[in-house]
Amino acid sequence: MVDQSIAGAGTMVTASDGDRSGRARIAILLLCLGLAVAVLLSLTSGASDASAVSVAGDWLLGAAPGNEALSARDRLIVYDIRLPRVILGVLIGAALAVSGAVMQGLFRNPLADPGLIGVSAGASLGAVAVIVLGATVLAPVISVLGTLALPLAAFCGGLATTLVLYQVATRHGRTSVATMLLAGIALAALAMALTGILIFMADDRQLRDLTFWQLGSLAGATWQKIGSVGPVIVLALAAMPFLARGLNALALGEATAGHLGIPVQRLKYTAIVGVSAAVGASVAVSGGIGFVGIVVPHLLRLAIGPDNRYLLPASALLGACLLLLADAVARTIVAPAELPIGIVTAIAGAPFFLWILLRKRGVIDL
Amino acid sequence: MIEARDVSVAIGGKGIVANVDFDMQPGEIAVIVGPNGSGKTTFLRALSGDLPYSGAVTINGRDLLVIKPVEAAMLRAVLPQATTLSFPFTVREIVRLGLLGGRSGALPGEDERLPERALARVDLDDFAGRFYQELSGGEQQRVQLARVLCQVWAPVLDGKPRYLFLDEPVSSLDIKHQLIIMNIARDFARRGGGVVAVLHDLNLTAMYADRIFVMHRGRLAATGSPQDVLSDDLIEKVFDCRLRVGVLPAGDMPFVLPQSVY
Repeated sequence: MVDQSIAGAGTMVTASDGDRSGRARIAILLLCLGLAVAVLLSLTSGASDASAVSVAGDWLLGAAPGNEALSARDRLIVYDIRLPRVILGVLIGAALAVSGAVMQGLFRNPLADPGLIGVSAGASLGAVAVIVLGATVLAPVISVLGTLALPLAAFCGGLATTLVLYQVATRHGRTSVATMLLAGIALAALAMALTGILIFMADDRQLRDLTFWQLGSLAGATWQKIGSVGPVIVLALAAMPFLARGLNALALGEATAGHLGIPVQRLKYTAIVGVSAAVGASVAVSGGIGFVGIVVPHLLRLAIGPDNRYLLPASALLGACLLLLADAVARTIVAPAELPIGIVTAIAGAPFFLWILLRKRGVIDL
Repeated sequence: MIEARDVSVAIGGKGIVANVDFDMQPGEIAVIVGPNGSGKTTFLRALSGDLPYSGAVTINGRDLLVIKPVEAAMLRAVLPQATTLSFPFTVREIVRLGLLGGRSGALPGEDERLPERALARVDLDDFAGRFYQELSGGEQQRVQLARVLCQVWAPVLDGKPRYLFLDEPVSSLDIKHQLIIMNIARDFARRGGGVVAVLHDLNLTAMYADRIFVMHRGRLAATGSPQDVLSDDLIEKVFDCRLRVGVLPAGDMPFVLPQSVY
């Protein structure tokens, strides 16, 4: 709406009609607050009775002498068990949501999602290969790469899938939705079949690990895992804001983006490598957590519009919030056991995805 | 100044444009006409740097092949035939993308107001808050023109002329807006810029073109002023239908009256 109060006062004629940047900034601010609350709640919910107040008190007092806001036992639970899990949840939620948004911008298509179009499956294949073959065929490679082998393999799997997909689905700068989704299905099927061969070769212990891991879980988060994939995700996320302007231009088509002076090839490859790194790292530690990449950007586009300068940071924040929320549900709903988080995101995300399709019926035409 | 020498373009091994020479001066509107499939758009895309070509193209004396995308964005803006979007951008958000080109050439601090002014010029004053996807084809085309105008707001930058490349800018517009858009082109040229447009309407071409390039089967069939080019014989031959070219009593502007296909 035209800002009548400003226009009427005669001070400025620049109405804010159609400008959603103010709204987007407020949304980002609110999401920051929301994430802080979600982190605090995640740190304090669970079997231990460390309350939000006492954890907050501990933060405020910090290393001050006489800080007894938390008992030693609670401190251990909060900082060595819950905190790594919360950090991992934040990193992965942000990585998946931003990857979804970037991929949708790259393919010029709101249905592109690393989970839907086979990128996660490709990353899984890489990760499973390391888990199953790590002690035998790939042993020399693993001895060199150490803990980086798993995320690196997942990255390569995701990258290969994305590159093939882009080649197949994009002709002359136009991406066909149908081709993209179908090629994604084919690639995912292929990756899953190869993964199946590896699972067939796995021993019983590996099998149990794999099954649980494939369902997606933040359980078993350790500082060591954060150390191996955290930098990859942080680096990939840090690169994404630089793509925002280019992705905005790309919404007009590749040729027009080029006419506006955007180095389109470089943009595309940066986006593909960044998404593969973020998704690969996420899959490597937490398995397949679906639908975050499609639900989060879609909700945000409804609220603040598709401008990637705001969409990407907002996606990171909301993705982190939602994954913490899903993890809280996963931890508590069948307590003292816990549900794999991938099940929670799928149960919530799949109907949402159907809702998107129903709303867009007639708009999205395969 | 734009000069193209012996330009040929092949797509997928098939020759679409062959041996075209093209010259235009700043201050001019150059119009490319020709039947469907005669290579007009392909030639314009080659000029825009979208397609590999053989031959030589220079813009303001510089070889097109060595102009970087960022520099090219400051030198010319390109309006494609149609632009569809997959995301719900508002009209203002789309028009503002024109400023990504780097230098609008507007006075310092005025860039923020350019979307409004550009929209007003294409007769879309109250459209900034509307969703692009909900507009008609003609309105979308005018939004895109507003975006293009933001990119090269000043027709002359640092003493050098800039160019508008318009691919069928009026194809989906009503007659009033056809004239509005062509007047914008004329104004851009009068203020020292250059316009290259692909048009289908021969009468609009006659009204606005300083120089016409008639393309036929990928080649240049004729070039010159409207008076020189628009003749019964040439038009009948190129467009393969019977036409009569007359001259309006008030002036020397030719007009084209279709007769029948056979």
